[in-house]
Amino acid sequence: MRPLTDEETKTMFEKLSKYIGENIKLLVDRPDGTYCFRLQNDRVYYMSEKILKLATNISRDKLVSVGTCFGKFTKTGKFRLHITALDFLAPYAKFKVWVKPGAEQSFLYGNHVLKSGLGRITENTMQYQGVVVYSMADVPLGFGVAAKTTQECRRVDPMSIVVFHQADVGEFIRNEDTLT
Amino acid sequence: MQRLYVGGLSHTVTQKDLKDRFGKFGEVKDVELRTRRDDEGVPYKTFSYININISDADLKKCMTVLNKSKWKGGTLQIETAKESFLHRLTAERQEAAEQRLQQPAAEDKRQKMLNSLSKAGVENFTMKAAVPGTEIPGHKDWVVSKFGRVLPVLQLRCQKGSRARTLKYDPSKYSHNIRKLDRSTTEDEPTPISQLTWELEGGDDDISKKRRGEFPPFEPSRPKKSRTDVLNSHNTMGKSRSKQTVESVDQTEAGQFTNGYEQPASHRLTQRRGAVFDNDIDSDEEIRRMVAAQSTSHAALRQEVDDDNLEVVGLDYLVKSGRSRPQQKGPDDEEENDYDSADTDELLASRKPPPLPPQERLTLSTAEQPSRNGTDKKRKTKKKSKTGEEEDDSADDEDHLTSRKPSSTQHTEDSSKQSKSKKMAAPPVLKPPVQESSSDSDDGDDEDEEEDEEEEEESVDSSSDSDYEAMFSNVTRLEISLADLQRLAEVSQQTTDPSTPGASSEQDTPRRPAKKGTTPEEILASLMDEDSSEDEPKKKKKKKRKAAVSAPLPAFRGMGALNEGSEGEEEEDEQGSKVKKQKLESEAPQLNQRAKHMETEKKTSESSEDEEEEEEEEEEDRVATKVLKVVPTKAAVNTKKAETSSSSSSGDEEEEEEEEEEESSKVTHTVLTAKVAASSSSSSSAEEDEDELISDRVAVKAAPPPAPDSESSTSSSQEEKEKQAPPRAPLGAKEEEERQRKANMRRLAAVQQRQKEAEEHKKLIQGALAKLDAPTAGAGKHIVFGSDDDDDEDDQDKQQTTSEVTASKKALFEDSQSEDETTVKDNDTVKEKLMELQSRFGRDERFRMDSRFLEEDEDKDEESEKKRSVTEEDESLEDERKKNLSILQSVLGSSQQTCSSKAAAKGKTFRDVSALHYDPSREEHAAFETKTDKTKESKSARRKKREEAQKLPEVSKEIYYDVSGDLKAVFGRTKEDNAEEEQKANWDQDEEEEEETKDEQPTLLSSLLSADPSAEKEESSGFKFSFFGDDTETENKETEEYKVESIQAPKVSWQQDPRFHDSSSEEDEEEQEENEEQSNAVAMTTQGSQVLLSFLSPGGAEGAVGGEEERAQTGVPQETQGCQEEAEVLPEELRIMGCLRVSVWTDSAS
Repeated sequence: MRPLTDEETKTMFEKLSKYIGENIKLLVDRPDGTYCFRLQNDRVYYMSEKILKLATNISRDKLVSVGTCFGKFTKTGKFRLHITALDFLAPYAKFKVWVKPGAEQSFLYGNHVLKSGLGRITENTMQYQGVVVYSMADVPLGFGVAAKTTQECRRVDPMSIVVFHQADVGEFIRNEDTLT
Repeated sequence: MQRLYVGGLSHTVTQKDLKDRFGKFGEVKDVELRTRRDDEGVPYKTFSYININISDADLKKCMTVLNKSKWKGGTLQIETAKESFLHRLTAERQEAAEQRLQQPAAEDKRQKMLNSLSKAGVENFTMKAAVPGTEIPGHKDWVVSKFGRVLPVLQLRCQKGSRARTLKYDPSKYSHNIRKLDRSTTEDEPTPISQLTWELEGGDDDISKKRRGEFPPFEPSRPKKSRTDVLNSHNTMGKSRSKQTVESVDQTEAGQFTNGYEQPASHRLTQRRGAVFDNDIDSDEEIRRMVAAQSTSHAALRQEVDDDNLEVVGLDYLVKSGRSRPQQKGPDDEEENDYDSADTDELLASRKPPPLPPQERLTLSTAEQPSRNGTDKKRKTKKKSKTGEEEDDSADDEDHLTSRKPSSTQHTEDSSKQSKSKKMAAPPVLKPPVQESSSDSDDGDDEDEEEDEEEEEESVDSSSDSDYEAMFSNVTRLEISLADLQRLAEVSQQTTDPSTPGASSEQDTPRRPAKKGTTPEEILASLMDEDSSEDEPKKKKKKKRKAAVSAPLPAFRGMGALNEGSEGEEEEDEQGSKVKKQKLESEAPQLNQRAKHMETEKKTSESSEDEEEEEEEEEEDRVATKVLKVVPTKAAVNTKKAETSSSSSSGDEEEEEEEEEEESSKVTHTVLTAKVAASSSSSSSAEEDEDELISDRVAVKAAPPPAPDSESSTSSSQEEKEKQAPPRAPLGAKEEEERQRKANMRRLAAVQQRQKEAEEHKKLIQGALAKLDAPTAGAGKHIVFGSDDDDDEDDQDKQQTTSEVTASKKALFEDSQSEDETTVKDNDTVKEKLMELQSRFGRDERFRMDSRFLEEDEDKDEESEKKRSVTEEDESLEDERKKNLSILQSVLGSSQQTCSSKAAAKGKTFRDVSALHYDPSREEHAAFETKTDKTKESKSARRKKREEAQKLPEVSKEIYYDVSGDLKAVFGRTKEDNAEEEQKANWDQDEEEEEETKDEQPTLLSSLLSADPSAEKEESSGFKFSFFGDDTETENKETEEYKVESIQAPKVSWQQDPRFHDSSSEEDEEEQEENEEQSNAVAMTTQGSQVLLSFLSPGGAEGAVGGEEERAQTGVPQETQGCQEEAEVLPEELRIMGCLRVSVWTDSAS
């Protein structure tokens, strides 16, 4: 377990900033304690200082997970967000998409969000903007990437994809073994 | 015979040409000319086959000569071709026929074979009853296969890879099905060769024509211009093209062509324009067509937009947590309901708040239900009383009785019902105050109102909104009555402590006197009582739940006790008015009862009182066990008395004391007295009943019911009492009053006696207390009150309260003293109280203390640890964070100042919403509190605002005057002279008015004016407009004597007149407004009327002179006086209609 390098930090922040923008600051600089990002097994964990100290008691090879996994670095050096980060992204998300109840299940099974399932969308959403997907009951379901702008979303036919699926809470069940 | 292929021919070559050409080399037998055409019928290749009898030499020669020679535009290519297949076929057939003629041997061979087989027992290639696989004797290769068939063994030759091998196929092993070929069919004559070739028969249809190579004349295929195509093209063009400058002409055209089609949105309009006019289309036709297409497309688009309920929200859209979903209902409410059934209950609850959901109703305490019933009844009866108060009293009574009977039968068991009946019984006392209240001052009303509101808010939980409203409707009347009661009580207790506990206790006063209402008004009052006392059962329940009796409740009762004590006096006051005879009569029984009680008390004196006390104590023991669950020792009882209701548990004898100690507000005491009386007079059965009641009475409100019981002595039920009430009423009211008076007198005497005794006791107790160590004495009445505060407050406050406890001990025991209790007992009680207090406080206080200490310890430890260890790690972490922040900054690209953790804490803070709990001790959480103070404070501000808003129209008016001025300038200039003269008469009136109105506030103005003319209001300083230029100012200066005339200069528009704005009070300002309006008109004609003014209002300068006097002084003719009345009306008109009227009026006048 080690702190992120500058490059890694930058990569990760760039990814996070697609979803929560400058609100990353609130994650890094928290008044309720010191929180930090740590890299372990190519995965980035977000944990408090306390947990960090506790985790030092465990050898690296035995440590499966600590704190909250935000995502992992792929072999190509990109950062991929995991659904476990949703709890931290959802409150700060700038652009949101609400999915109709009928399309919830489809999204939770890993499918993209179609126009027909789009219940509500934040205005001025740009194309390929990272969005957090909510149910109409404002329960965060996952996140994805806007396939179309808000204006386009109004016009496109019902079966066109509006939000590309990236992660959803269904993964907690589907990828239970790999999700750490 | 040679067959030649000749290629590269020109399309125009004919067979004859070829014959001629090749005839030189040999005899041409047949020429077959072929032309290849493409699908459009254009020939692209022509060639021919030629059968020619030619020698080899000739052929060679022919080839050299003609091959690759140019002929008719084509290069000939000559090759030898294979013989035509038809020729070959005929040749083969001929050959076969010849062979057949030569093959009779084969026939014979076959016959021989058959014969030999038949010899071996084979008939027609079958051998019956032979095992498959047996060889035919004599024939080596023949075997018997399945079904007795005789078949040859085949030697198959297969070539696998390079080498070939033979494969033996034994039919006995494989063949199941064999087909027998008939030889005769194969031997039929073949079709003649001439019939082997044929031509396609062609009709006139296109396909056959095309097969034959005939094609229709070429017409270029027109792409169909369907509407969709047009649309697509438009859209693509509109999108792809950069927006060009749109010509206005085109826009107008587009407007014409839209056919009234309404654009759903503005952006669509622009889009359409772009789509239309980006194209380089000029002709109207095309434009028209496009517009039509566009409109249809837009219609479709709009429909689509309408269809999908896609919602676009702003960036600041607030996401509600999942928990709060039921409240947040979007357009898909039903959908949500459908897919989530878990929250249906919540939904139900949220959707129909007024009718409580069934579950809730079930959970409601049984005590609350009767109260609701009571309210219902109340409503009914209220209606009745409203419709006709003259209705028969008896009828109402009957209604009441009938309605109550069922409930009252079980009253011993059902405490709530009892309370209800109690409420019913309450009315009579209320009534007199109601009548009196009409003339009364409303001093206490506000307080009362607030109190009522609070109480009712409490009860709102159990009752629906409608109930609440109904209750509120009654509130006003109730307040008044309460205020009166309070006043009466105060009057009666002038000698005693004037500082009554306050309006809070007044609420209970009406309940105290348990009486049955006979008049409709009384019934009403009782009903109101029900409202206010609806929450009683709740309170009781609360009390039962909490071991510690809350302080506020006793506080409520205190006033009741007070009133009770003063009731007699009240009645005395009431006696004066004979109108209230009825009520007095109705009250009489109670009074009698009380008087009797007093008498008995007096008679028994202290000795008997001791006995009574013992009884009391017994009862109280029960109470204690039931409610407080304190060890039911006598001492405990005493302590309990002191604590619970903060009433001294002295009992009947202490009534006087209680009256004195209104602060302590003991209602329980009265209850106790009632109990005592009941127990003493009633049989054991009654006592039992009361025991059951005690638990209910702990809350103190049960006082009234027992009292009647004691009188009746046979039964303690309320109903019976109610029944008895009417018969009692007819008793001579006056006699009873006298008796009551006597009783009161006696009682007062006893009260004084007891006061003295109580003082002695106090002294004794104080002495005893002085010996006790201070810290242990944690008991005190104030603590009781303070304890509640402590629960809410911090530890520091606690400490303060503890100190208060010690300090207030004395006062506490002064209150709780009882005549009969000896000092020893008091000591015991003190100890008990201390124990009680400790036990009661212990929970909170100890806990808090512990927690506090723990916190402190932890903090210290943590701090020390941190100081030691954290330094390095934290520094590293801090560095990391800073680094992260810097990176973040670079990533975001925005120049956000890197704020340290402290700064961040102050700024935007991370809020873990799930962990957010309201903590009253934290300052930040004050944001969650609803502050009522602000609204009160802001009332004045609001009023100011309102008034300011009201002032605004003035400005507009004055602006208007500009116009009127212009109008006048336009219209009036020509005949100015005449107009002014004519106006004089009219404007006189105005001026007089002015003077009148002026005279109302002359003192103020004059004084203020003289005092400080410099004090100008800033608000009005900005804009100056003088219609007459400097004239007005000069006039003012000239006519200084007329200070009233200063009105000529209106507030804003004309110029600042400090004298008007000096008046700080807003009422004055309003008056000024009136004046200004009038003066505006005056100012218009100042020039004309100046002379008149000057002699009209000399007294205006002095200010204090009335208008009438002025008129008299100045000698204004009667006509003007008559006109003045008109003028008085006119200003009103002016005010209403505004400046327009003024101008019109002036014009008309001119």
